[in-house]
Amino acid sequence: MSPIIEIKNITKEFKVLNRREGLKGSLKDLFSRDYKTVRAVDNISMSIEQGEIVGYLGPNGAGKSTTIKMMTGVLEPTSGEILVSGCVPYQNRTKNAQEIGVVFGQRSQLWWSLPLIESFRILKDIYQIPDADYDSILTLYKSLVDIEPLLHKPVRQMSLGQRTLSDILAAFLHNPKIVFLDEPTIGLDVSMKSKIRTLIQALNREKHTTVILTTHDMGDVDALCERIVIIDKGRMLYDNDIEHLKRFFGSYRTLRLRIGGDLKAHAASLQTALPECTVSADEEWISVLIDESKANVPDVLAQIQAAHTIRDLQLQEIATEDVIRKIYEEGVQ
Amino acid sequence: MQKKGFRFYLRIYFKILAQDIKSKMSYRADFIISTIGMICTNIAGFISFWILFRNFPSVNGWGYYEMLFLYGFSLVSLTPVQCLFDNNWSLRMNVFSGDFIKYCFRPINIFFYYQSEVFDIKGLGQLAFGIGTLIYAWVKLGLVFTPLMLLKMIVFLITASLIMISLQNAAAATCFWIQNSFYILDLVCRFRDYAKYPITIFSPFFRFLFTFVMPIAFIAYYPSLVILRPDEVPVLSWISPVIGCIFFFASYKFWMHGATKYSGTGS
Amino acid sequence: MKLKKYLTLTRAGIIESLQYRLSTFVMVIGNLLYLIVVYFLWRAIYNSADSDVVNGMTFYDTLIYLVLATALYGFMEIYAVWEMGRAIQSGKIVLDLLKPMEYRSHLFWSYSGTFIVNFIATFLPTFLVVAIVTHGTIHFGLNLLFFVISVVFAVSINYSIDFLVGTICLYTESIWGINIMKQMVVLLLSGATIPLAFFPDTLRTVVSYLPFQSIYNAPLTLLLNGTPDPQEVLRTIGTQIIWCIVMMLLSKGFWKVSLRQITVNGG
Repeated sequence: MSPIIEIKNITKEFKVLNRREGLKGSLKDLFSRDYKTVRAVDNISMSIEQGEIVGYLGPNGAGKSTTIKMMTGVLEPTSGEILVSGCVPYQNRTKNAQEIGVVFGQRSQLWWSLPLIESFRILKDIYQIPDADYDSILTLYKSLVDIEPLLHKPVRQMSLGQRTLSDILAAFLHNPKIVFLDEPTIGLDVSMKSKIRTLIQALNREKHTTVILTTHDMGDVDALCERIVIIDKGRMLYDNDIEHLKRFFGSYRTLRLRIGGDLKAHAASLQTALPECTVSADEEWISVLIDESKANVPDVLAQIQAAHTIRDLQLQEIATEDVIRKIYEEGVQ
Repeated sequence: MQKKGFRFYLRIYFKILAQDIKSKMSYRADFIISTIGMICTNIAGFISFWILFRNFPSVNGWGYYEMLFLYGFSLVSLTPVQCLFDNNWSLRMNVFSGDFIKYCFRPINIFFYYQSEVFDIKGLGQLAFGIGTLIYAWVKLGLVFTPLMLLKMIVFLITASLIMISLQNAAAATCFWIQNSFYILDLVCRFRDYAKYPITIFSPFFRFLFTFVMPIAFIAYYPSLVILRPDEVPVLSWISPVIGCIFFFASYKFWMHGATKYSGTGS
Repeated sequence: MKLKKYLTLTRAGIIESLQYRLSTFVMVIGNLLYLIVVYFLWRAIYNSADSDVVNGMTFYDTLIYLVLATALYGFMEIYAVWEMGRAIQSGKIVLDLLKPMEYRSHLFWSYSGTFIVNFIATFLPTFLVVAIVTHGTIHFGLNLLFFVISVVFAVSINYSIDFLVGTICLYTESIWGINIMKQMVVLLLSGATIPLAFFPDTLRTVVSYLPFQSIYNAPLTLLLNGTPDPQEVLRTIGTQIIWCIVMMLLSKGFWKVSLRQITVNGG
């Protein structure tokens, strides 16, 4: 089977205005302008199979959105080739749009003051969804989430979590081959995050939909993605399965502790007691970076608890930015 | 997938439009105040017109009721742009905030989808005002009423509307290239206020400008000639329906060109 | 040091206006085109009249009056009602209220930069063009000084009205309706669209008791009068000062009361 998305050496450049500073600068800008070319996406290639969930990661401004806009047919690449489900997206925007669904975490695409079900009905017409398919997908939705109370609520009265959930359901409504999810869990609480992850997973499994997920949340990646693509400054850094990446982030976790007394001194003594971890301290917290291939969290915690009274503690996953930094520092393959 | 023909778009159009009316109704106070505002605008415009002609009985050989006819004609021909293409005014904001991108992901024509989202009911008040003025002027001028006249009126009203819509589309679409394109829309809006005066008051250069570059003369003057001065109708009046279609098509292409060039801001 | 914090806002406003290069150019060119339209229209109107002087105004008087009214409008209209309305709807107003400056002054001084840019980009060139075109109809003497003083008060009254109307947005959420109503009432009753001298007597008497005529009619009448009668000048500017104080107190008071009500209701 040929891949659903095939990208070959795409590059996208933008012309950006260099603004001068201050009052004098803006007066100068009025008469002469200075443009520079920025390469947002630089020679990226990848191919994605039907049914995959791909985590598309990178820091802000890395070029993630630009790539997605090219895949959705909104932007034309400066050079290179893209094929989405066999056709060139920007040449066949409407045909391509029929095959994809898009969710932007903070921007709802639903009709703001209408109940969700009305939005669904309009989408049903726009995408020309046959009655039978429409009914069956609604039945599927009902089996997956408690959708009934949402259906008759105007979108503007929904909480952010409910809105995201609705947007995701709307994106899958016409049974697209690919769904692009941009930061779907941003700003949501833990229980809502896990609800949304479960939903995405279930829909992917049921419908065999390809999901391209951009996120800053390693929790999303951990829960959903088999495959990870990382880009930074427009260049591809990594494209491989998640197990491979675990070496860089999965095995590291930071334990943050609040204990009384002189933190600097405590940190120094803990460092000698825990040679396999890295211990540091700021004004309030002691941070212990644990390499889980060498030590496990409960053991470390027990060891610290034996010596100190812990007032508060946090366990942190390593963030995308840290993963990328580590990839830079240590290399991948 | 079925082919997306005229029937498909018509159906979608009413569906999307209905949602806008439904949501407008849910902000009742705003709706009422806006309607009053619209009526005030029309009354104020009418008062200015009346004061002007109290002092000057005619302009360049055009009498009070003929001018009133032009005035009514321009009001009616402005209705479609007010009612159906009002979302053009928000285009700048949508593009600036990046929200415009949501229109790019649907498998239907972007221009169509964007314009169908808003229906401005207030414009209907203007329509009533304009029709009233037209009928009053018609009676006072002692014009005969025949089916042929009515047909002419309708054709030329549509023509005038097309021109107005084209101007607004083009002005709104400039926001794809320039920030703060509000001034351009505002300028076009101010100029169309002058559409209701006979173009013969201008010097040849501006007559040319307002006929071919910024064709406001087609909004009321050229079409009205057909009714008011049947003996001196220039060729331009007769071909104005074609010109209207050409301008509309050109403005649509321009708008779409901007929309496809658009890449969204940030993130 | 107090002045400095205001001037910082002015400076930022100037920089922000200049960011939009094209809109500045469009503003200048559009304004000139607009003046030409007004020129032709009124020349035609006067040509059709029986005498050269209508209601005590010659063609040049009317031209200067209307053109400068438009130019004044161009630099006084800062869309404060929109700004307030949008800030209220989006909730941004809460942030503005936290700033260490009264909201009313903050908004005004943020716009003062736009005032200055607009004054230089639209008002001054317009003034010069119209002065040349009308061959010395504008008297260069004390009347210029009175005009400038009068404009300062006009700006203040206009801003107070804007702020007053903007405050209504706290209650209605209908920005468009409120704004269009304000614009129409102010433009018509202030004599910006048609000089007050052309109004029928009863209407003129009513209008003379309203604050609006102090915005456009007062400064322009002072400017056109080459041989000012001290008593007349004193009366006009005196009326402006009174309106200036009354409107300022009214708008401040209304804002204060409304704000209290909103915070109590937890809006």
